This record gives sequence, C-alpha cells and structure tokens, in this order.
Amino acid sequence: MVRSPNDYRTDVWVDWCPGCGNYGILAALYKAFAELQLDPTNTVIVSGIGCSGKTPHFVKVNGIHTLHGRAIAFASGIKLANPNLTVMVHGGDGDLMGIGLGHFIALGRKNLDIKVMLHDNRVYGLTKGQASPTLSKGLRTKSLAQPNILNSLNPVALALVSGYTFVARGYSMLSEHLKNLIIAAIKHKGSAFIDILQPCVTYNDIHTPEYYRKKVYFLEEDGWNPMVREGEESDKLLNAIKRSFEEERIPIGIFYQNNFKQTLEESYSQRISSYFKTIPPWQKISKDDGSPIFDEILFEKMFEEYIVRVERSQ
Amino acid sequence: MYNNILILLGGPQGSGLESSAQILSKTFARLGYGLFADREYFSNIKGRHSYIHMRISSKGLPVSLSYPVQILCAMDAETFFTHFQDVEEKGVIVYDVSTLSTKYSAIPSIEPGLRERLRVSFSEFGLDGSISSLIRYLKAVKKTRFIGLDYQKILSELSQKFTLSPAHASRYLSSIIVGAIVGLTGLKLDAVAYALASRFAGRPQLIEHNMFIIESVSKTVMKEFGTLCELEPSANSLEKMLVSSGNDVIAMAKIVGGLRFQSYYPITPAADESFTLETFERLEVDGESLGSLIVIQTEDEIAAICSAIGASLSGVRSSTSTSGPGFSLMVEALGYAGQIESPVVITYYQRGAPSTGQPTRGGQSDLLFTLYASHGEFPRIVLSSGDHLEAFYDTILALNLSERYNVPVIHLLDKFLANSIVTTPLPEISKVKIDRGKTVFEKPDFKRFDLSRPISLRTFLGSNIIQWAAGDEHDEYGHIDEDPLNRRKMYEKRMKKLEIIDSEVPVEERAIFYGQDDARLVMIGWGSVKGVALDAVKEMELSGIKCGYLHLKMFSPFPSEYVKSILSKFKPENLVAVEHNYLAQASQLVRQQTGILIGNSIVKYTGRPIYLSELVNALNRILNGERRVVLEYGA
Ligand SMILES: Cc1ncc(C[n+]2csc(CCOP(=O)(O)OP(=O)(O)O)c2C)c(N)n1
Ligand code: SF4
Ligand SMILES: [Mg+2]
Repeated sequence: MVRSPNDYRTDVWVDWCPGCGNYGILAALYKAFAELQLDPTNTVIVSGIGCSGKTPHFVKVNGIHTLHGRAIAFASGIKLANPNLTVMVHGGDGDLMGIGLGHFIALGRKNLDIKVMLHDNRVYGLTKGQASPTLSKGLRTKSLAQPNILNSLNPVALALVSGYTFVARGYSMLSEHLKNLIIAAIKHKGSAFIDILQPCVTYNDIHTPEYYRKKVYFLEEDGWNPMVREGEESDKLLNAIKRSFEEERIPIGIFYQNNFKQTLEESYSQRISSYFKTIPPWQKISKDDGSPIFDEILFEKMFEEYIVRVERSQ
Repeated sequence: MYNNILILLGGPQGSGLESSAQILSKTFARLGYGLFADREYFSNIKGRHSYIHMRISSKGLPVSLSYPVQILCAMDAETFFTHFQDVEEKGVIVYDVSTLSTKYSAIPSIEPGLRERLRVSFSEFGLDGSISSLIRYLKAVKKTRFIGLDYQKILSELSQKFTLSPAHASRYLSSIIVGAIVGLTGLKLDAVAYALASRFAGRPQLIEHNMFIIESVSKTVMKEFGTLCELEPSANSLEKMLVSSGNDVIAMAKIVGGLRFQSYYPITPAADESFTLETFERLEVDGESLGSLIVIQTEDEIAAICSAIGASLSGVRSSTSTSGPGFSLMVEALGYAGQIESPVVITYYQRGAPSTGQPTRGGQSDLLFTLYASHGEFPRIVLSSGDHLEAFYDTILALNLSERYNVPVIHLLDKFLANSIVTTPLPEISKVKIDRGKTVFEKPDFKRFDLSRPISLRTFLGSNIIQWAAGDEHDEYGHIDEDPLNRRKMYEKRMKKLEIIDSEVPVEERAIFYGQDDARLVMIGWGSVKGVALDAVKEMELSGIKCGYLHLKMFSPFPSEYVKSILSKFKPENLVAVEHNYLAQASQLVRQQTGILIGNSIVKYTGRPIYLSELVNALNRILNGERRVVLEYGA
C-alpha cells in the first residue's frame, strides 16, 4: 500500500489559530512521511507541552504527548529500548530551549538517533505570549507588559556545540523546503535538529511571515556545503556556528552534517552484541509457564561472585 | 567460645575498609557463619571516619546489630576515640602502638560535637586525652584487653618481602584488621584464601600480599594474645549462601525479573545498584547471551524517570533507582505515568533528609512523600521491603504489579538495607513468576484507554498497532478530551485500579504479623526495622514479656482490613510505632486508614540503625509508662 500525505492525518480537529505557522510544519511533516513511506507503527512522535506539543494528535503514527520540556528524555528511553523505531520530537522554544534545555544538550552529547523539531515562534504560545528564550532582548511582542529583559540564545549554535550531527534551520511557510529538511533529518543517522522558524500570528507581531519573507535565504544557494569530510570536523563546525549568527539575512537549510560519529545505539551494540540481534522488547524474559528464563543453575552461574559455598571444618 | 559476636572495625574513609568487610564476610560465610554488617560513613571520599559494625553468628543468620561490641579494631586513633565506649567490659581493642601518644584534640577530622563529649569524658576520668591514658583507664575500669600492633612494622615487612614501595604497601593497611579478627576469632586461613580468591579473582599479587599480612597478623595475635574470642563451629546447615549488599541483591532481582532498561543519575545510596546492573549488561552465562540490559546515566533524575517511562512504552521492563533528592525531581513524571497508565518501577533508597540531609546515612522519612508526591490523584503502588531476601522478591513483584496494573510502582527501601552486607540463603528462583499483564500486538482501531475495562490492554511501540498517549485528560485513543462526562469516566477508570489491586494482591505480600493475640506490646514498623524488631521480640520473651511485630509492606493501596483485623485486638497503649522518622509516619497512615490509634512510638532519626540493645531498653521504658522514646545510640 502506498501512503499519501493524507493517510498520515488523524480525524482530530486541528485547534491551532488560523494562520499559525504550525500548519506549515504539519503539512511538511505529512509530505515527508509520505515521501519516505514511513511505517506508522514503527514511527513515534514525542512532544512536549505547548501549541507545538499537540502535533502528535494530528499525525497518524504513534504519538506520545509528554510533559513540558521532557519530550527528549522520554524519546531517549523509547529509542534505546527499541532502536528500530523512527523517533521524532516536537517542541516549542520554551519547551526545548527553556525548561527542557538540559535534555536538549544531553541529546547532542549522546548522538542518539532522534530527530528534534523546534517550533520556534519566539513566544510561549499556549500560555498567551510570554517571551521565550529565542526572543531578542529589548523586543516587545504583543502581549508583553514590558520589552523583553533577557538575552536570547541561538538554537542552531547551541545544537552545533552540543554535538548534534545534523543541524538545520527551516521556515514553516516554505513547506517544500522544510519537507526536504525533514527527510534529510530522518535519513541521517544520529541526533538531528531542525530549528523551524514559525510565525505565531496571535502573539508575535514582530516575527511575522512578512518579516521572514524579507529576511530568509537559502544556504545551499549561497554555496554552503554542510557535509563534514573526514578530518575537517572542527573547521566545518566553526564555520557553521559563524553562519548561524547571521541576523540581517537569515540563512535556512542544512548547516552541518557529520556522518562519522558513532551513535549511542551503535556504542551500546558494540559493548552488548545481542542488543541489535533481538531488540529488547522482543527478548524473552520468561518461559511459557510464566517462570523466568533464569533457573537456579543460571542464577548461580551469573551471580557466582556473590555466592559462597560453605565448607564446614570437622 | 562464642556463638554470636559483635565486631566494630573503623578507619579513615578510602583506606580499604570496605574491601576488608567483603573479605571478612566471605571468610565467615565460607565457614558457615551468618553475618550482618552495616557500613557507616560520611559523605566524604577520603579521610573521614568510617566504620563497619557486624554481627557474626554460628546459629542462624543474624538480622540485627547491637551494642556493646566484643571487639573493636581501630585502624587509626580517631576510631579508638570514637568507639571505645562501644566496647563491652573485658572486650578487646586492637590498635596501632604508634598512636599511643596521640590526643583526641589533635585530630582535626573529629567533629565538634564528639570533641566536646570527649573533652567532658576525659576530664571526668581525669585523663590527658591521649590513647595511652585511655588504655590505662579502660584496663583498670572496664578490664578491656588490648592488642597493640605496630602497623608500620607489619607494612614494612610486606614491602621488604615483595619489594614494594612504602606507599604501595600502605594500601594493605586494612588487611591488618582482617588479620587481627581472623586471629581473635580463630578462623581458618583456608577460608581466608577462599575469600581473597573470590574478591580478587585474576589478581594473584593482591591475593598474595593480602594473605601475607593476614596470615602474619593472625599468627602473631594468636601466639601473643590467644584466640580471645573463639567462635563455635557453625551450626548453620546452609550449603550455599548469598553474600551481598542490598543494592546488589536488588540488581540481581531486576535481572532475574527481566529488566531491560535502567536509567539513573548518580546518588548515594542508590548508584551502586546501577553500577552492578551495568557490569551485567551483557546478560551472559557461559558465553551465551540471555538478552541485553541498557543501563544509562542520564543528565538528571527527570530524564532518568522520563526515559524509563519511554522504555516501558517501547515494551521493556524498565526502572530507575534513586534517593530522596532525585525522587523530588521525578514527581511530575510520576503523575504522568499514572495518567497515561504506564508501568515503571522506581527503586527508592531513602537517606537522611530533608534536602541534602545526611547523604550517606539512613532514614525512613519519605513514606508520606511517596504516597502523595505529584499533583492530582492517580493510582500508584508503594511497596517496601524489610530485608535482603524480601527485597529480592519484592523487586520482581514490583515489576510484575507495575505491568499487570499499568501503574507506577515505588519500591521504598533505605540506606541501611542498601549498604549492609548480609548472608542469606539463595533466593528460590523456582518461586518466581513473571507477569507482564495483558498485552496486545495486533488490533485495528486500538483504544489504549478502552473504557470497557479498568485495566487496559497494553501494547508496545513498534508492534502492529498505533497508540497515542497524553498527560492531558484524554479519550479512549489517547487524544486530548475535556468533555466532563469523559473526564469522570477516565478518572474513575484509573482510580478503580486501586480497588482491584487491593482485592487481588495477596495480603501476605502487603503486611505480615509476627506474634500472638496475647502480646503485651505490638510493634508496628516497616523496612529495615523488621530485623531488629523481630530480634527484640525474642529478647523480650527471654525476660518473660510477650511482644509482637506487625511488618507493613504495602502502603498504597494500604491493606486496611488486614491491619485493622490485627491491631483492633490491642489497646492503643499496647501498640508501639517503631520508625526511622520523627512523625512515626506509618503509624499516622495506620490511623488514617483504619482509625486505630497507635499509642506509643519509638523513633530514631540520627541516621544510624536502630540497635537491638536500645530497642529493648526503649520497649521496657514504654512498659514503664513512657509514650515516646527517641533513640540516639551509635557514632
Ligand atoms: C512544568 C510546567 N510549567 C509550566 C507549564 C505551563 N506551560 C504550558 S505551555 C508553556 C509554554 C509553551 O511555550 P513553547 O514551549 O514555546 O510552546 P508553544 O506554545 O509556543 O508552541 C508553559 C510554560 C507546564 N505545562 N508545565
Ligand atoms: S498561539 Fe501562536 S503558536 Fe499557538 S496556535 Fe496560535 S498562532 Fe499558533
Ligand atoms: Mg513557542
């Protein structure tokens, strides 16, 4: 059966504001999944809390809507327990860059094969428009009482220094381009990150589609090659970081892709040879009668170092 | 000859005491003796005073500790000063002759409180504060017998014999203590050799060096002082014994129980369990793999529990191990597991609290916290264990119940159990069952939260089913739904599980009464209180007072009917809560759940175990009309 983008839609009514940038992300997602013909039973979307956090309910693949900031942590357990799954995280800028920042950085260090999609609208959408960690200092979006007093952080640079092996930026209104980024991220082996610029039409009156339309340009058209060649890791990284700070014009596309780093799953399988052979969920832990696969003999063999055989003196 | 002996060995943290305890415990076990050893240490890596307090028995397997001890082995002067009062009349103290002139006031690591108590004692005794003055005093007043050894000389013999540098030789300091105990109790060197071989398998030099010291010290002690505390040959009939810490026994149980994922963030006294699990990650026996066990050190405890829940969604048995500070960070996700009806096991080793509290000391002050942690109402199981074997079976029970009922299970333990090394019979693996609950891997139109039954069918991510889950209130598929009537149904579906668990889990797994209806006093306790309470029952019986002990194990759902049926036979003044916390938390819960008032309490919150001697004393004080006794013995 060939799946069309529509086949990845659920019947759940999409309750984002009309005109919200999230629609573009969703459309790109359906198209990417269809193009890759992803098996819905083997695909999992894990999300945090926020407008962005609702994404899994709208997609007909496994969907785990978790806690604010914790999607990556849940996804890590999901992926490690079943390394055959395609695991994708969706979260907002408050979710992934604020409360859940520790997990975001930790995932880069792990290089575990999870794709992280940041719905970057520079505000806390679902709590009515407070400043998010990606809103620049001094800006006053619609529902702020005062201009933002905190400095912003740069998600792309952060992903790069954290160790993500695929780092890109997309724009939700350029759905076709975004779709291609998503496909590339899914095909990549290792931690992948896409910073998706997403207008929030309700609370962000600064970063509007109008604003982005004037500013974004395509990295690939600018002669940027994101692929790391062996031995050139740090040069590529430094240049990618530099480009991620361009502000006057905003580059989108793939900043960095490194295919030479071992993933966490691979590191485990190197240590534990049976890990990939039979993935953990399908390993037998009991016999048909409900007794464990261990019996007294196996127990004594495995835990020999804790067992003392008594030798009584006569 | 002794059939039961208490020994205390102490020295600076990081000087090999722990490895001495392991060697000694295996030596005793090899000869058939039962052993119970508690390890007391500071939150410190090197230098502060730590000690091991052990009971060895030739009849049965000891389950509690007591004071005074028969033997004190001091690796340094601080140990001598800290513990000389713990030694019985005519007891034995092993010490280093080079410390004779050391005064307590010159030891910087002694804390101000003890320093002041020593100052008062020394001025009372009219002593100058040195070891030698103390020895004279103890000889005269307590008839203490002293074994003075020249530790430096022993080490230089080692360094000469094996041409080791003095620094290298000094690493064997703690073996001197082992040798002294071997000599004093008359243990066979064959058994020591066995223990060394097992402890240092594949490292022949370590075995040789240790053996050299142990042999020469034990011979010197026997020759010059005699086998002062000779042990009777063991009358225990076990042919094999498990010698392990609580952390290790739980790790073993998790492996037998089919655990495939463990996440943790380092914390005392939980981390050793994860370390042990990781050493067994290949699950290999005779070169053949039984599966794979992923152990991951996460970035924090929030990630630890979230990833464990994630792994559980993927269909593996998963758990995380932590202590109070870590569990405090986990509570939001605990509620999430309750809400999405996901299995997950949290192995919770309590330590001294609140806040950082006493990181390396024990306590039981988190019971009420585990019962109410996280916002909202949701079903959870809180299960606690009283000793190593109970913990073994309960660990597997926790995994089973969690998957059978799709609920988070908190397995509540404490530092006392985690760090004590105990001899037990081998667990009976044939008694163990694995119950993974009802699962389904193929079903069109699957409803994860099917309202037609309180306990939903569970599936694995990656089976032939698509599933959704949300911490938001949800419909049967797992999609967000705020309809008031759906809300009521989902709410009730979840809460109903508590009743089902209550009716299905056998009461023997949830509370055990040791005693008879005509007991004068019934103690009510949980966790590590079990061993000392049972010994106190025996001890009181010797003086003609019948006591009983109600051991509480499951706190949620609470076995109210059973507890009521037992306790209602007694008057409040005959009931005594025995707990390691201030409020007597379990007794409050009993009151709340059964209406029964427990009229007396014996509590301890110094971070040290409850000792048999002080418990018996406290029970007598309760009999004499006191309502609350606060215990504080132990350095
Ligand atoms: C622990 C916790 N704190 C606060 C909240 C309230 N909350 C809900 S959504 C949200 C912010 C969402 O902002 P963002 O992550 O940027 O997502 P968006 O709605 O913009 O997509 C917050 C703070 C929560 N759900 N959990
Ligand atoms: S509040 Fe903003 S981000 Fe949320 S749905 Fe509306 S437009 Fe989209
Ligand atoms: Mg946002």
